[in-house]
Amino acid sequence: MALNLIINTSNPPLGALLAAEHVKSSVPVSVEEGKDNRLHVSDAIEFNDANSISRYLARVAPALGLYGANMMEQTEVDHWLEFSARHLCGQPGLTEALGNLDKVLSLRTFLVGHAVTLADLSVWAALKGHEEWSSQGKSFSHINRWFSFLSSQVAFSAVSNKYTAKKPSANKSSSSEK
Amino acid sequence: SSLSSQTLSSTTLKCTTDLDTLLGKDRGALRDIVINANPAQPPLTLLVLHSLLCQRYRVLSTVHVHSSVASVLPQLLSCLGPRHVDSYARHLFQLGFTLIWKDVPKLQMKFSIRDMCPIEGEANVARFLFKLLAPHPSDPALATLVDSWVDTAFFQLAEGSAKEHTAVLRALNSALGRNPWVAGPEFSLADIACYCCILRSGLASSAPANVQRWLKSCENLGHFSPAKVVVQ
Repeated sequence: MALNLIINTSNPPLGALLAAEHVKSSVPVSVEEGKDNRLHVSDAIEFNDANSISRYLARVAPALGLYGANMMEQTEVDHWLEFSARHLCGQPGLTEALGNLDKVLSLRTFLVGHAVTLADLSVWAALKGHEEWSSQGKSFSHINRWFSFLSSQVAFSAVSNKYTAKKPSANKSSSSEK
Repeated sequence: SSLSSQTLSSTTLKCTTDLDTLLGKDRGALRDIVINANPAQPPLTLLVLHSLLCQRYRVLSTVHVHSSVASVLPQLLSCLGPRHVDSYARHLFQLGFTLIWKDVPKLQMKFSIRDMCPIEGEANVARFLFKLLAPHPSDPALATLVDSWVDTAFFQLAEGSAKEHTAVLRALNSALGRNPWVAGPEFSLADIACYCCILRSGLASSAPANVQRWLKSCENLGHFSPAKVVVQ
């Protein structure tokens, strides 16, 4: 069963794309451009927001442990999914949220447990897509360490090369964009 | 040694309680769930889930008022039911449930587990508590549908604009035209979240026909009285 993820390239759901990139060896996901972000699952069910799409992809590939290794970790993953959607994505004034995040990351390699989870994916994606991150990021050393560590991983660099390099810029001819 | 006897008991004893499987082997005397909630926004879903937990487990329930809060309504002090007579004997209980009315911007749940960050948001605490009652649907689409409705309930029904309320009630109406419950044939956390958020926003009377019918089915279950008492 191949899943079809439709994305709006002007506002790509990076967290969902990261989840798709992680699960692709066990569950193929084709990505297409369209008007609204959505993952078509069946005639009756489709998911439109990045968190639901990520949750679904994590659940169809349970062996990867993207939703955490046990119930406590699942609960922590839920916490960070909401944190990234409510406190980071599109929110002005990141300082307080970044302060909290920096504290949590001070003694950790991953946000939850001992491996990469949806928590890392969604928070990384929210920062990557946030315009304040590049200017504010420097003052938060723990987030920076965690952010660059993840950025160097294959799935993260693949998504960031494919979907975030496309910022509308003057030095690219419009013909190559289309 | 204690380590080997622990390993032995967890592999050979079939009678370990569900809580051991769900939360990992208990090392302390009591599993304590501590929730800080703002009395300006009583967590209706958690009150409902608490009463369901009490039907399933022996729960030691306690309500406190933090000094950041001047006073709370009497129904918020008694929202977890009457005080246990034998609350001194903590070993008789399987689960501790402590609700602290506190001036917090967002509801928090804390565990005495090292390395675990406080869990914020009523939706996430509700997800956790519901898992102590029933497993998540094993079908990934159904499980995610439940999560998606829980988010919709908390972010659009409880907090959203009038326009969002109308849009969600319409979507809910069409979902409930296809199925008896919000996320399909089974009663789930999606029903608890949507019911409580409709109750909190006072949207019941303006809800369309299928939603009205479903609200009645929910009331017939008898699970929601702890939430209704607090809203009155």
